[in-house]
Amino acid sequence: MTEKFDDKLDRAARELATEISPKRDLWPGIAEAIATPKRSRWTPILAQAAAIVLLVGTSSAVTYIATKDSNGPIVSVAPELVFEQAAFGGNYHLGPGFQDARNSLRDDLDVELARLSDEAREDVQANLALIHQVIIDINVALEQEPDNVLLQQKLLRAYREELSLLRRVGGLTRNVMRRNDI
Amino acid sequence: MEALLTATSSDYSREMVSAPPKSVAGEEVWIGQAQRSDARAFEALYRLHVDKVYGLCLRMTGNVSEAEDCTQETFIQAWNKMLKFRGDSAFSTWLHRIAVNTVLGRIRKSKREQDRIQAVNDAQPARVATGDTGELRDLAEAVDRLPERARHVFVLHAVYGYSHDEAAEMMGIAAGTSKAQLHRARRLLVQQLEEQGFEA
Repeated sequence: MTEKFDDKLDRAARELATEISPKRDLWPGIAEAIATPKRSRWTPILAQAAAIVLLVGTSSAVTYIATKDSNGPIVSVAPELVFEQAAFGGNYHLGPGFQDARNSLRDDLDVELARLSDEAREDVQANLALIHQVIIDINVALEQEPDNVLLQQKLLRAYREELSLLRRVGGLTRNVMRRNDI
Repeated sequence: MEALLTATSSDYSREMVSAPPKSVAGEEVWIGQAQRSDARAFEALYRLHVDKVYGLCLRMTGNVSEAEDCTQETFIQAWNKMLKFRGDSAFSTWLHRIAVNTVLGRIRKSKREQDRIQAVNDAQPARVATGDTGELRDLAEAVDRLPERARHVFVLHAVYGYSHDEAAEMMGIAAGTSKAQLHRARRLLVQQLEEQGFEA
């Protein structure tokens, strides 16, 4: 077989049809398949987020019960608990009321955490770090799918959980102070 | 064989067997809408590209039923991956890559190459559906009988015009392997066509 022969074979191959119509319409099968809810590639993250939020809630309750009578030493807050500006994907922003409340609680966090025992403080810090990571993950996902309602709901829930935990930390320490005063 | 290999483009014009050129003016819009989960826009993309995808699937599998399944799977995967399409390549090229992966994935999964060959033999009348006529049809059938990897390389490189680098990247093999498989395919095609009475 010569090079010329190869060229002729290639030329004949290029004459073969590259666009061929299927005998039947394949669209109905495709339409049926894509009509079912699209499985997002972020589903594992959402499941993880839901599990973490549940874990945070449970853990916070345990923290409260275990530490309500304690009065821990004064310490500084771990640097990883420095919060980012609250964001809501690429297209949305949280309201100023929420942001003010969050900033206020965040500013008091150092003082409040310092009043807790080592064990309680570590629990709270770990929970806040988890929520913080969930918020980051969901925001990354929202940049890809800004109109994903499920992601938006998950993010709101994570922010609420964060706010709730910050408030509970404040409640814990105020409770401790009152007991000490007595 | 000589007659086959001297066929000219006027004898076997692709336009004889391909759908007439379709407008792609709306393609970019449809892509954007489909990325926002608009099924109607995606159907428009399907109508625009189905012949290209089905053609590739049919050439690679050599079986009508498999090609139909691969085509459907390709578009379903494309729908699920729409957000990953960034326009770095033509949409048709992106679809081709998904189609190649789909074909290879199905073959790996099924391990039914012998069944495929039998199915091709059983489905010879369906070969007319490719639109190939006369001696080109003989060539197409000879391509179908090539070993799997040699056939895939020949289809991607010789029929669809992808470079060895592109074909190798699509198939997950080295470019050198692609060249070797093309060489093998050519030798086997000559043997087959000679056995059918063609003279090289």
